[in-house]
Amino acid sequence: MIKYRLRPNVVVKIERRLHYPRKLSVLSTILSILIAFGVAGAALTILGADALIAYSQIIAVFITPSLLIETIKYAIPIGFAALGLNIAFRMNFWNIGAEGQIYLGMFASTGIVLLHVYYGMFPEYFVLPMMIVTSFIAGGAWCALPSFLKAKMKVNEILTTLMMNYIAIYFVDYLIYGPWRDPKGFGFPLSIPFPEYAKLTLIFGESTYLGSILFIAMATLVYCILKYTKLGFELKIVGESLDTARYAGTNLTKVITLGGFLSGGFAGLGGLTIVSGIIGRLRPRASAGYGYTAIIVTLLSTLNPWLIIPTSIFFGGLFVAGNTLQVTLNIPGATIEMLQALIFLFILFGELFKRYKITILTGGGKPEP
Amino acid sequence: MGTIYLIASLGEVYAERSGVLNLGLEGMMIMGAAISFIFTIAYGHLVAILMAALIGVLMSLILAVMAIHLRLNQVIVGLALTLLGLGLSGLITFPDIRRRILSSLNPSLPESMLMIQQAEKLPEIPIPLLSQIPLIGKTFFTHNILVYTSLILAIIMWFILFKTRYGLIIRSVGENPSMADSLGVNVFLVRYVTVVISGLFASLAGAYFFIGFHPFWREGVTAGRGFISLALVILATWNPLRAILGAYLFGGVETFQYRLQLFGLGAQSPYFLAMLPYIITIITLILISIESIRKRIGVPASLGTPYSREEA
Repeated sequence: MIKYRLRPNVVVKIERRLHYPRKLSVLSTILSILIAFGVAGAALTILGADALIAYSQIIAVFITPSLLIETIKYAIPIGFAALGLNIAFRMNFWNIGAEGQIYLGMFASTGIVLLHVYYGMFPEYFVLPMMIVTSFIAGGAWCALPSFLKAKMKVNEILTTLMMNYIAIYFVDYLIYGPWRDPKGFGFPLSIPFPEYAKLTLIFGESTYLGSILFIAMATLVYCILKYTKLGFELKIVGESLDTARYAGTNLTKVITLGGFLSGGFAGLGGLTIVSGIIGRLRPRASAGYGYTAIIVTLLSTLNPWLIIPTSIFFGGLFVAGNTLQVTLNIPGATIEMLQALIFLFILFGELFKRYKITILTGGGKPEP
Repeated sequence: MGTIYLIASLGEVYAERSGVLNLGLEGMMIMGAAISFIFTIAYGHLVAILMAALIGVLMSLILAVMAIHLRLNQVIVGLALTLLGLGLSGLITFPDIRRRILSSLNPSLPESMLMIQQAEKLPEIPIPLLSQIPLIGKTFFTHNILVYTSLILAIIMWFILFKTRYGLIIRSVGENPSMADSLGVNVFLVRYVTVVISGLFASLAGAYFFIGFHPFWREGVTAGRGFISLALVILATWNPLRAILGAYLFGGVETFQYRLQLFGLGAQSPYFLAMLPYIITIITLILISIESIRKRIGVPASLGTPYSREEA
């Protein structure tokens, strides 16, 4: 407990909360988002852009049915990456590398398509399931390496996952400017367009639906893993205290590596939903920072797999709004990035009020109502 | 080319030596570039560099308050600041917004200056006599003032960190903050100072990059160079002198990449060359995790963990 004496009769008392009410946490999240919108609006107005138009556009995204479907389409990769991060953060593994793992997922799923189209491997109906499996494995392997290094040699995972993002991005750049470029693509750095049976639009016509079903299935799986399995329990113990986990006889290397694999795997699935859900082919820099947005989403959803759904839809909507703002209204798309950052910062500040109880005492030390 | 990495990593060495990981480097760097762009057009180079320094200090103060005092996760706060920097600097890509900022900063600017995407480059200063040496003179001794300053700074900062009492205090805070605290060192103050130094240097690096090297504005102009500087800190194993070598190595790799493209050699190789700094860094990270090497170099042990008296 810390006490600051402002004036002789006013004392600010800060004490640590042991439990915080759920209402308060919802309230502080909503308040943080509103403050962020306010600050961003003020900044835009000062810079001479019309903040009201920008905001009405953002609201329009969530109430127009066609735009909402588009929004969910963008929310799916973010959601998948966040699902993975949920596992990683739970075991106190600071995976900043969701972006790179997304790229590995895109690489693997495009690879399967190319193997099928160029070399006639696998029957048609087998392509999409293969893509799902390989993108999970590729993304997972990309994260299992830093998590193995952390478990075995205590290599700082923040730095390795961050650096591996760039390696993944340049690797995909190389493929798409080099051997994977579409020979009929007039020299543009694009892969061949995916055939229909390799796209998530296969069933229901719109990738949003199949993607959502896949996502809800995976979210259920993650929820069950975390809640009902031994692995979920071990992940939680590892996150709370490495020493406790060690005394309890947990195989740390195995648990941390496996947790990392799962975490990267879901991000890899996110990569799949980008190439075969949103774009329909691979192009360089296909992920617009979804892996970083997923970090915000994960923290906002307080490590609860279900809360990821509304949160990632919210951020997916911001991406969609950003695109339309830039194209139709001549308001910079960077507004959205700024907004994301501000929401992020204010929520972090809000975290403080959740963690500490601040009371102002005046006069004879009576707490103010 | 290497200078941008050198300047940014010098500051970061200090922050990390005292136990704070500043992941906002990229955001501070690009804000430095953006501010120097605007102010070079409005008032010239000197004001631009000063203002760039100021923005770095301001942004790192946010990091300092949130990560040191409020003990929020440094990684997360740093990433948020990077995102903020990218977003804010992206705004000036729009001509309307740029025009409004510029005309309110300096109303006497002619109309033609309000729209340009390009700023004046820093003049290059040849060192008398030395620059006359045939062959190597022009490559080594004709640069702008920030290049020379960064080299001198690297030596001074190495000296402070390893040969003076202040350096010892910084390193001890990074090694074992509660020990340092019990010996009467103000852990919070030391970390505030080093974080501000890292922000200051990061945005100066951005300013150097923009007005000293590549004076054409586009969105995301620094293109991940802040993260390369972060990698460089590790490669240099938190030592300013080794950072000089590493900086020119990374700078060299990047220049080599452009050269290869110019000659049309190896159309594929630029991507693998671009990966090189990151791969080298990961290998370094693995090497320094080996206990005996770790002890010899003195990796800051409390890197990334916030300090609080109650909980220690």
